[in-house]
Amino acid sequence: MEKLRINGVEKEFAAGRLPATLAQILEHLGVEPRAVVAEIDGRIIEREKFAETKVQKGQSIELVRFVPGG
Amino acid sequence: MDNLIIAARKFTSRLLVGTGKFASCEVMAEALESSGTEIVTVALRRVNIDNKDDDMLRAIDLKKYLLLPNTSGARDAAEAVRLARLARAATGINWVKLEVTPDPYYLLPDPVETLKAAEILVKDDFVVLPYINADPVLSRRLQDVGTATVMPLGSPIGSNQGLKTRAALEIIIEQANVPVVVDAGLGLPSHAAEAMEMGADAVLVNTAIATAKNPAQMALAFKLAVEAGRMAYNSGPAAADRRASASSPLTGFLRDEQI
Repeated sequence: MEKLRINGVEKEFAAGRLPATLAQILEHLGVEPRAVVAEIDGRIIEREKFAETKVQKGQSIELVRFVPGG
Repeated sequence: MDNLIIAARKFTSRLLVGTGKFASCEVMAEALESSGTEIVTVALRRVNIDNKDDDMLRAIDLKKYLLLPNTSGARDAAEAVRLARLARAATGINWVKLEVTPDPYYLLPDPVETLKAAEILVKDDFVVLPYINADPVLSRRLQDVGTATVMPLGSPIGSNQGLKTRAALEIIIEQANVPVVVDAGLGLPSHAAEAMEMGADAVLVNTAIATAKNPAQMALAFKLAVEAGRMAYNSGPAAADRRASASSPLTGFLRDEQI
């Protein structure tokens, strides 16, 4: 098993099935990348870089987006 | 009406509107439209992986409104800076409504952490609009570090109590050399008009519009109140007096004076 922490929750992937890039993670989760911004281990990843950003097991990923607010 | 200028950018409307608490995106979009606002606030949160269809930005026309991300949820300067940087990465917009509210009951802003975060963000090229308690000394400290505005509260967020901090707001307005945006607690258009008559440069309203029975109509009422208040301020209001001052002539009465 290979693990990633996504928005505070552990996600397990079968060995060798870990998505290779951030873009593939979003696709796997069914999250539309439009208007999403990400952090990997505290480092901000801009949307244009999602496809080229490699993901490794054990990383902590935050996916955030705008919500209504004052 | 004269323009509002924040960080060299011109706005016709002096009403900023928050996007929280609306019953739906459609109701929100309608209220934004009738408010005439040009600046709308939004928050940043984790994507809900179990409910991905929550993209509220679809309902906000980004050509029409400047998106002003807030740092709500931040309990200290470090969290606020992190949220501001994420927001900038998401939009490319470097404007941020800085709010650091560690107290969950009154949501009062932490002045020390807010000042600390403001310094960091200004150095990092952000246009910083800090939400603060109505503290004239803090207002000056913030403008000294280069914030684009100060945004003192009228009363606690969402409380609809109006201008409980009136005396301090007057001092802030008198001393400020950046725009003063009265934020939080404005429950009625009359509260907004009162702030504008005092010389506030703008107001920010969310709860009072979003939770009204008819948000679009309430948004229009706030728009008109803000315009009326600004117009009154620009007209140079007459002074108040303890005693009466007759509006009609005090001569030529239809009676004979007794000597």
